[in-house]
Amino acid sequence: MSAPAFAELIAASNYSFLRGASHPAEMVARAVKLEMAGLGIADRNSVAGVVRAHKAWKDLGRESCGLKLVVGARLVFADETPDIIAYPATRHGWGRLTRLLTLGNRRAEKGDCILRLPDLLDHAEDLLLIATGQDRGVLERLQEARPGAVWLAAHMLRGGADARRLAAAQALSAATGVPLLASNDALYDSPQARPLHDILTCIREGVTIQSAGRRLAINAERHLKSPAEMARLFRACPVAVEASMDLLSRVQFRLDELHYEYPHEPVPDGWQPQGWLEHLVMRGIKNHFANGLPKKYFTVLQEEFSLIRSRNYAPYFLTVHDIVHHARSLDPPILCQGRGSAANSLVCYFLGITPIDPVREKLLFSRFLSEARNEPPDIDVDFEHERREEVMQYIYARYGRDRAGIAATVIHYRPRSTIREVGKALGMSEDVTARLSSTIWGSWGGDVPQARVEQAGFDPANPVIARMKNLVDQLLEFPRHLSQHVGGFVLSQGRLDEMVPIHNAAMPDRTFIEWDKDDIEELGLMKVDVLALGMLTCIRKSFDLLRQHGLGDFSLRNVPLEDPGVYQMLSKGDSIGTFQVESRAQIAMLPRMRPRKLYDLVIQVAIVRPGHIQGGMVHPYLRRRTGEEKATLPSPGPGYPQKELEEVLAKTEGVPLFQEQAMKLAIVAAAFTPAEADGLRRAMAAFRHKGTVDRYKERLVGGMMARGYDPEFAERCFKQIEGFGDYGFPESHAQAFAWLAYVSSWLKCWHPAAFTCALLNSQPMGFYAPAQLIRDALEHAVVVRRIDVSHSAWDCTLEEGGLVLRLGFSRLDGFRREWADAIADGRDHGPYQSVEDMALRAALPPAALRKLADADALKSLGHSRRSGLWEVRRKPPAQLPLFAHAGAPELGRETDTPLPKMPKQEEIVADYQTLRYSLKGHPMQFLRDAFKQEGVSPCSHTLDRADGRKIRVAGVVLPRQRPGKGNAVFITIEDETGIANGLLWARDLEKQRSAVMAARLMLIEGVIQRSKEGVVHVMIDRVIDRTAMLAGLSGMTGGETHRPSAHRHPRNVRILPKSRDFH
Amino acid sequence: MIEQENGTLHDAPLAMVAKVRGALRLGAVNGAARDRGMAVGMALADARAVLPDLIVAEMDEQADAHWLMRLARRCGAWSPHVMVTPPDGLVMESTGVDHLFGGEAGLAAQVEDAMADIGMTTRVAMAATSEAAQALVRYGVHNGQGPVDDEGGAIRALPIAALGLEDEAALALSRAGLKTVGDVAGRSMAAIAARFGGEAVTALRRLLGEEQAPIAPIIRPRPLRFERRFPEPIGLQSSIAACFLDLMHQAAGEMAQRDLGGRRFALTLFRSDGARHRLMIETGLPTRDPALVLRLFDERIAALADPLDPGFGYDRITLLVPLAEPLLASQSALDGEEKQEAALAELIDRLSTRLGPDALRRLVPQDSHMPEQAQYAVAAIHHAPIPWPAPAQGEPPLRPLFLFDPPQQVDVIAEVPDGPPHRFRWRGTLYEVSRFEGPERIAAQWWRRKEGEIPGMGGLTRDYYRVEDRHGRRYWIFRHGLYEEKPDPHWYMHGLFA
Repeated sequence: MSAPAFAELIAASNYSFLRGASHPAEMVARAVKLEMAGLGIADRNSVAGVVRAHKAWKDLGRESCGLKLVVGARLVFADETPDIIAYPATRHGWGRLTRLLTLGNRRAEKGDCILRLPDLLDHAEDLLLIATGQDRGVLERLQEARPGAVWLAAHMLRGGADARRLAAAQALSAATGVPLLASNDALYDSPQARPLHDILTCIREGVTIQSAGRRLAINAERHLKSPAEMARLFRACPVAVEASMDLLSRVQFRLDELHYEYPHEPVPDGWQPQGWLEHLVMRGIKNHFANGLPKKYFTVLQEEFSLIRSRNYAPYFLTVHDIVHHARSLDPPILCQGRGSAANSLVCYFLGITPIDPVREKLLFSRFLSEARNEPPDIDVDFEHERREEVMQYIYARYGRDRAGIAATVIHYRPRSTIREVGKALGMSEDVTARLSSTIWGSWGGDVPQARVEQAGFDPANPVIARMKNLVDQLLEFPRHLSQHVGGFVLSQGRLDEMVPIHNAAMPDRTFIEWDKDDIEELGLMKVDVLALGMLTCIRKSFDLLRQHGLGDFSLRNVPLEDPGVYQMLSKGDSIGTFQVESRAQIAMLPRMRPRKLYDLVIQVAIVRPGHIQGGMVHPYLRRRTGEEKATLPSPGPGYPQKELEEVLAKTEGVPLFQEQAMKLAIVAAAFTPAEADGLRRAMAAFRHKGTVDRYKERLVGGMMARGYDPEFAERCFKQIEGFGDYGFPESHAQAFAWLAYVSSWLKCWHPAAFTCALLNSQPMGFYAPAQLIRDALEHAVVVRRIDVSHSAWDCTLEEGGLVLRLGFSRLDGFRREWADAIADGRDHGPYQSVEDMALRAALPPAALRKLADADALKSLGHSRRSGLWEVRRKPPAQLPLFAHAGAPELGRETDTPLPKMPKQEEIVADYQTLRYSLKGHPMQFLRDAFKQEGVSPCSHTLDRADGRKIRVAGVVLPRQRPGKGNAVFITIEDETGIANGLLWARDLEKQRSAVMAARLMLIEGVIQRSKEGVVHVMIDRVIDRTAMLAGLSGMTGGETHRPSAHRHPRNVRILPKSRDFH
Repeated sequence: MIEQENGTLHDAPLAMVAKVRGALRLGAVNGAARDRGMAVGMALADARAVLPDLIVAEMDEQADAHWLMRLARRCGAWSPHVMVTPPDGLVMESTGVDHLFGGEAGLAAQVEDAMADIGMTTRVAMAATSEAAQALVRYGVHNGQGPVDDEGGAIRALPIAALGLEDEAALALSRAGLKTVGDVAGRSMAAIAARFGGEAVTALRRLLGEEQAPIAPIIRPRPLRFERRFPEPIGLQSSIAACFLDLMHQAAGEMAQRDLGGRRFALTLFRSDGARHRLMIETGLPTRDPALVLRLFDERIAALADPLDPGFGYDRITLLVPLAEPLLASQSALDGEEKQEAALAELIDRLSTRLGPDALRRLVPQDSHMPEQAQYAVAAIHHAPIPWPAPAQGEPPLRPLFLFDPPQQVDVIAEVPDGPPHRFRWRGTLYEVSRFEGPERIAAQWWRRKEGEIPGMGGLTRDYYRVEDRHGRRYWIFRHGLYEEKPDPHWYMHGLFA
């Protein structure tokens, strides 16, 4: 006899955080395997996991897999009401459910949901309800609100009194008329998940497994059970099993019913979206082609229009245009620039969303065009980082909070946090888990060198370590909590909260929806990425400064093109402060690339990425570019177009660098369909995680061989594509970034004072600390003036026609803007006469005065740092009202002997302590004699020392960078003569780790390596920590010699700030 | 002035860490760690980046303070006035005592030696004021060699940090070019006071020995020790008892004054021929009731293997209360429940005294699903009773009061896979089951088993049934293992319901 049909309708996924122990897809797969008729996924006050369940179900073939998937939520109440599981029967019911959850979410602090029974009764239309617990009062109220749509859950969980409980439930059912529903209240797919579930319980309760006691589940019964097993368990009450089918059949709602409607705001009355879009594009064309559109453009544009029409994407483009248009219409306008797959289109170009002409740049339109991809286009727009909030608030204002929301980001368990939490649950001390996560499993999943493990004091065969690894592996990639996406907005025509629940974000005035970008894509909702980019702020500020000082009126569109001076500068590797090409790796590459045109920058931006370095593309590309190797493109076998690869790879010297090229290569040379190529693109992004790689490898290499390509070439192509990993750029991204790299380089080249000023005023951003930016400006002959109360404002400013950079109070640690503004305002009534005069007029508190004196900013008032400090400390803490009123100096003259004069080295050290740089000199110049005696050369000597010669140099440590796979550590040191670039192989790091990581003053011994392009590195043999020598400079000899205090201000012990480092 | 440091246990770098404002920071480091760049105040994460094999342990400030106090008491051997300056300093007033130990240098040497004997590293300095001594020991250049020749000069050469001002003020002084105590002392006091406040001037004057700060010595409580000496040895049981009662009354009076009650009492009888008898009793609750204590001593004496032999009599008897706890005068409750409790406590004291503290045990609940682990036995006299969890309202007891340890195997006929026993054979007798409830399924504790987290290795699950035979007797029977875990699971009798 076959078992009666059964559907498990109370099943949680791991989106019931720290309660559910299986991924939604695992639950669905298991239900199919057990031949269930249906499965209901209901997480605690959330629908965050249902889209993933839906996707898994779709991937298994929808109804054809025999399973009907229903989605809802388990409502957990704040008022003692036992949990109720709710399933929407219709689309309307779904809206009621999401609004109910939104209500609870918005009431609570971030991450919580506060619901009470009356809330449910208010939103119960079209909901099917399963009550748990056996509360007669609740059942009667539910029955009254939703007659005939209420069930009472019955469980047989082997708790000892199952039969008695079931009998009581039957009696209650008979008395209230609410039918019983058999369920297992599942928390995981199979009983094997018990250890993981116990660990989750421990993490939730904050206890160790040894002490958790009865907080753990008594057994592993809450898994999905087969219909036959359920029938056996409920043989005393078969109607309860049958009831599951009743409920199932009443659910008509499916997630794909969430039809998406674009908001209508961007379309004026009387226009259709498509018509309006075409109208706007035509208007844009006039700006670019006054004499009419060339034929080539016309063809492409017609193609795009027809695709947009057939897919009804016009409102999307119009929405993005609307936002961009608004940002530009503000006074002053906000700089912005689009990128992303759809940004390859002419439509975007003519709408002014992107500055890249896709026809001229031969961008691959099919990445956007692919007919097979039934998903909305993707346009990311970067805005000035300081003003993005204005754009976001505009979106909220225009569409309303009920129709606009930020997407969620699901925060997953990552190796570090997982090790820490699992370790804690297993009762390991924080110290042990910290050591495990930092030394052993820094690269989880990769090979852990035996030596490292033993060095950390652990035996990999140790059962505790093995247990830890087993559980950590299971928990990895579990969702941990929801957070808001950086800038992805979802907009809709109807109420958003009837589509998806909305949460409060940690920031005030922000709300986000419960689904992340994958969910949104899966359901075909529209998302606009409103991103923040620091460099846009910096460029805008530079343009403003130039205009203000009569140095020209520029915008992103009229910066002189292809300026040879800019390329000359870049070819020297002189790029500190510029966009994208300023890292050590980029600087090392620039002299080899020798960029001569914008497209070279496009390649430069794309090529120096971890993925490409791994994929082995950099060297072939460079060899071909410098002409050492001929860019031969293999041809397919006879009978195929011999030059078919030319079109794809010619512009990058035959090396695939961009995602589009990988796709087109697959289409052209391996006969992929566009849809397959798109699958390849997606797989590329996920190579690292999922291992879908092999499928495509066979397909690509096989396809190319079938066309007669050399197998070795095919393998190499695949390897290169694989190397993209997560880091691959679509070409439109590279184009957009390269343009900003060019503009920033142009500014640096021709207006270094204004550019540095704008950079300093846009901090924090970029790779380098302000001190290095200032030093770089000095090297470019910019006159930099120190902070002074008679001249400085909050921001850095330009003086003398824009050629001199005056540092602002914002460079001063802990100085407040209102103090700076008061000082600047006070100057309106004539220059300050004395410190007291200034303190009075600007109403400065003692703390502000001390900071000013400490920073040596009182010079124009006749005070050195030392006398200034001595003077300002004399101020009484509060102004006496009588004196304040009289405005008279209130302190008598002191007749003390003058203070000793501050030696220069102390001045410089004090500069470093307060400002992190000094315009007076460099600490190293006072140590030079000592180093000279040791045979240490100045850093500048590295430049003219011959290749292969040994050298010893010493200096202050600037950033230590460890890019990509971390095979090498880049260390830059600085002395009074300049900088020296060191490179330390990771294998040499371990034995001198403490010197490398801790030194602020470092002595490097190594060998000069000089490339043909003239790039010099010191290949480091040995690093010696000489930080102790700095202490002698400060004149603060003998702090507490034997017991440094734990609460001392770091400034006092540190002569030099910490560099920006990797860890 | 003594400074204590972590003794160097071994050569590995070791640091103690404490949570400071949310981040773990090094609170103390040993020599090996210091040599490798570790410093107090460093964040643990930074320290690890530099020195991955740093051994760390959690800082126990309470234990440190406790240890410092013990050292201070030990210093009572040299001076009656000892003050602790946490976290690691001791100040000793040596005026009028140093001549007993060979002058200042001799005293310093003795202190250092004595501390070295117990594994402590010390730095000692002597000066006219306690502030000056502390400053010399912490900041002095000549490594704390006891007394210095030119005290004034040494103090003036100290860095300004020795003034103990706030960091910000110390930095300001240093920026002004005043690097030493002497530099500051050379300025006008009015100028210093105007900038750094009166307390800076006071600190300076104290360092310079121009002003004395009072020393707050630790007060050591008198030990609870009482003694009687006899010109003629006494030997009669009754005289001894009377003497003891007398001592106990004296002790009770003293303890009542200090709001203490004794938990441990030691009676020492000194025989005239030099032999010594020592008897010790303990109580579960603090007490100062002479009759009760006397009774317990009687029990103790009665339990002795060799009876007390007074020989030619005792010439000295002492009573020591080595362990005392706070005990306030109590007010009796009306319902007398307290009395009952007191009576039980008294019974436990008596039985434990007679039979030994471990002989009398009580069960306390333990949080575990496993029936045999849900309670454990502890020495009754050392542990107060813990209330048991109450069963849910209206529920019959699901678990029996009586458990077999170990469970006894039974032969069972039952339905596969998880039906109840129909009949079972236990100790040779066949029982027919007439009623049952269950199963209550209890999974094994996988984390206690080797590789228990691997599916199938987590141990056998038990299915418990409450069954009743035809005579109405109820048993607790379980099957050890599900059929999917083990093809032929055994059955056990684990308990009997009352």
